[in-house]
Amino acid sequence: MYDGPIIDIDVHHRWTSEQELIDYLEPDWREVVERQRSSVHLEPPALFHHTRGSNKRVDAHYDGGPPGSSYELNCEQWLDAYPVERAVLTYDIGGVSVIPNPFLASALCRAANDWSLDRWIAQPNDPRLYSSLLVPTQIPADGVREIERLGAHPRIVEALVVGNGLGKPFGHPLYHPIYAAAAEHGLPIAIHNGGDLWNTGSQYLGGGMPGTRFEFHSAAPQSTIHHLASFITHGVFEKFPTLKLVIVEIGVAWVPWFLWKLDSQYATLRRESPWVKRLPSEYFYEHVRLSSQPLEVSPDKNQLIELLESAGGLENILLFASDYPHWDTDDPSYVARQLPRSWLPKVFYQNALETLRWPSDAALLDRVPAAAAAV
Amino acid sequence: MFVDVGAAEEFAEGRPRVIQLAGREIGVTLWQGEVFALRNICPHQYGPVCGGYAMPMLLGDADGVLEVDDDRLVIVCPWHGWEFDARTGRAAWGPSAYRLKTFPARIEDGRVLVDAGPAQPAAKTAEAVAGTAD
Amino acid sequence: MPRKLPPIIDLDVHHTWKSEADLIRYLPRKWRELVELPPDTKLPVDAIGVLYAHARGVNKRMDAFSEEGHRPGSDYETMRTQLLDKLEVERAVLTFDVGQIGVANPYLQTALARAANDWSIDEWLSIPDERLYGALIVPSHSPEEGAAEIRRAGQNDRIVEALLVTNGVGRPFGHPIWDPVYEAAVEMDLPIAMHPGGDQWVHTTQAAAGGIPMSRFEFHTLSPQANVFHIASYLLYGVFERFPQLKLVVVENGVTWIPHLLLRLESQFDAHRREFPWLRRRPTEVFREHVRIATHPLELTPKPDAIFECLEAVGGLEDVLVFASDYPHWDTDDPFFVAQRFPESWWPKIFRDNAAAACRWPTPLGPRHAARVAA
Repeated sequence: MYDGPIIDIDVHHRWTSEQELIDYLEPDWREVVERQRSSVHLEPPALFHHTRGSNKRVDAHYDGGPPGSSYELNCEQWLDAYPVERAVLTYDIGGVSVIPNPFLASALCRAANDWSLDRWIAQPNDPRLYSSLLVPTQIPADGVREIERLGAHPRIVEALVVGNGLGKPFGHPLYHPIYAAAAEHGLPIAIHNGGDLWNTGSQYLGGGMPGTRFEFHSAAPQSTIHHLASFITHGVFEKFPTLKLVIVEIGVAWVPWFLWKLDSQYATLRRESPWVKRLPSEYFYEHVRLSSQPLEVSPDKNQLIELLESAGGLENILLFASDYPHWDTDDPSYVARQLPRSWLPKVFYQNALETLRWPSDAALLDRVPAAAAAV
Repeated sequence: MFVDVGAAEEFAEGRPRVIQLAGREIGVTLWQGEVFALRNICPHQYGPVCGGYAMPMLLGDADGVLEVDDDRLVIVCPWHGWEFDARTGRAAWGPSAYRLKTFPARIEDGRVLVDAGPAQPAAKTAEAVAGTAD
Repeated sequence: MPRKLPPIIDLDVHHTWKSEADLIRYLPRKWRELVELPPDTKLPVDAIGVLYAHARGVNKRMDAFSEEGHRPGSDYETMRTQLLDKLEVERAVLTFDVGQIGVANPYLQTALARAANDWSIDEWLSIPDERLYGALIVPSHSPEEGAAEIRRAGQNDRIVEALLVTNGVGRPFGHPIWDPVYEAAVEMDLPIAMHPGGDQWVHTTQAAAGGIPMSRFEFHTLSPQANVFHIASYLLYGVFERFPQLKLVVVENGVTWIPHLLLRLESQFDAHRREFPWLRRRPTEVFREHVRIATHPLELTPKPDAIFECLEAVGGLEDVLVFASDYPHWDTDDPFFVAQRFPESWWPKIFRDNAAAACRWPTPLGPRHAARVAA
């Protein structure tokens, strides 16, 4: 049972219609897009059917727009229903960054960030809400410029990297200018899973293209695990010692394997990458944080706990995420039942407090409404 | 007790050579005027660690930047490529419990001398070590 | 046989090392420490491999081995006899075999490119034969490294072009991420040269659309595809707008695809030009001004004048074509074979004048019909 305040690091918000986003585009691009309204896709298409017709909670659908586009429904189903002190908005899920035209993709990211800060931060003026900054990745220089443009905004708490714009593992040096800019602004980099599914030259899973959502979801962490590994193998944390990395939406049960695999190969392969000066797992514990969602289900609850405890120290690494309103959202009371009780204050609150870049303006925090009735 | 194991010119520079001494297999390497003697059993999976190569240590300050540390030779196990500092026997990759046993060795009047300690009652082969490993 | 041809500038002569050890020697010691084993080992160093086996075991002319049995293209005397003297070549540009460094390690790729340039300058461009000139290989996993190498190796005045082959970034060469390379090329007054094959390495892109060719037959038939895409990307991303001094020389794709590309660009431009507001001129106009296409491998047509008819569909290509032999590959073009397929009025341009204007020659070319340089 956990009835303390919650920081939720992954809430997917969306525009009610594409026009809502287009309104935030720069005039030149707006003209191009509006002339092609019937045929331009502002995001890559969804590839896999969902058994209930939607990859969102059925009850998150409403008449005014797609799930996740209603602030009121979000409050009713999530923000007001649970003691959520802070929620980080993370788009759904940022596919505008990897449409084929790289210049339009950058422009759409800028529009999305302006839309988010206007429609979800300024207008509702809800002190619980914070936004991530969607970073263009096809032209890293545009990513840098965007961080420089909005990175100092007090309600932006992380720089979100999703679409694999160059088809490279995210630790590759071509992306480093983005991390330099983020580190300079004190922003952690968040990588949300899924961005390799879109056709930019990388693969979501090794071995080929999955045929079904089941197949696709089965090994879903693969590409993001590679991104994480590449941060370590390319020495990103040596280059940017203050940088933090938040990995979102790949669950947790892979962690012991990952750490042991990297560490056991280090003895041999350090020679090839000697800029990895420390044991890989050390970088992980120091710089990397992980969303709890989607928390894996073990037949016996204790098995998951044993697995996580075998790695050691994960109570300091996990950050609660609801992933509202996706179909595999984690209810906080469920998470609270699955994890050791002593971990809960850290997982639900303390770790996120120490990881993301919150504004130091105390007056903002004073306006948090009284927590709703504990679950 | 130091034992004469051969003339210095019989040892190729920087190439470990395995000899039998006092019931042990020991890899002897001459390098830049020094001589290193290490036990020929890898602490990883008990392979013939000195039966591979010796190379200078590679360091890297920034990603993509390699540097050669000419002051440090590492013994590289032929099985998995684990690197051990030839001078100290310590794991080259960082703080680790894995370590090669070293033996005192020196060159005197053009002869290589190694102190392998007292003779072992039974041959300390790799298999024997593996059998009694904890 | 009467010598009707003017002295020839051959823009594509593939020189190579006798064995990889020759190249490895030019790597800085720290990289040799990584890739080399002690000399008495039998393990090979395979820094660069071959993807498609060739029917007769080697993709070169069988008569181009040196007397001692060294690889075709690796021996100056053989090249001098078979090409430079025999065909009365006034100037030849040495372009490696073929300039692609297909290793995945981005740092090693840079080191190997530099080593290859040093080898070429040291062992070929120092030969006292005034007909020999060279390309420099542009390392291409990192455009910044590519730019640095253009500025470094490009200082040698026998270097006449910068060869960009391997697509290390995995983006079309006109994409803005490559801009540092073009900035450096313009600064050093070097044209960029492009050669097919670089997209099949390191799996960043594909050499042919639709899938991976399984045989050399399939691959060779389709081999222009990637370069054609790259050329289109130069035009549509506005590379020549940003770098008006830049020239592009594209070799080894044949010629009969040119009308197809130009006609498609022409017919589609007006419908799509809103997407490219930075283009001030029609792409086909820019193509004629900035791009040169080597004749090799000239397509074999049932009737000799079919090539001319095909090219005349768009007209003006006598100003675009440049001769290349591609010695010593198996599909090398004899200049008389090429000459017979074009009007004699085109010969001075194709065999000499267009190449004379495209590359950065350290000395002016002699009068058009000068006797060949004494060996």
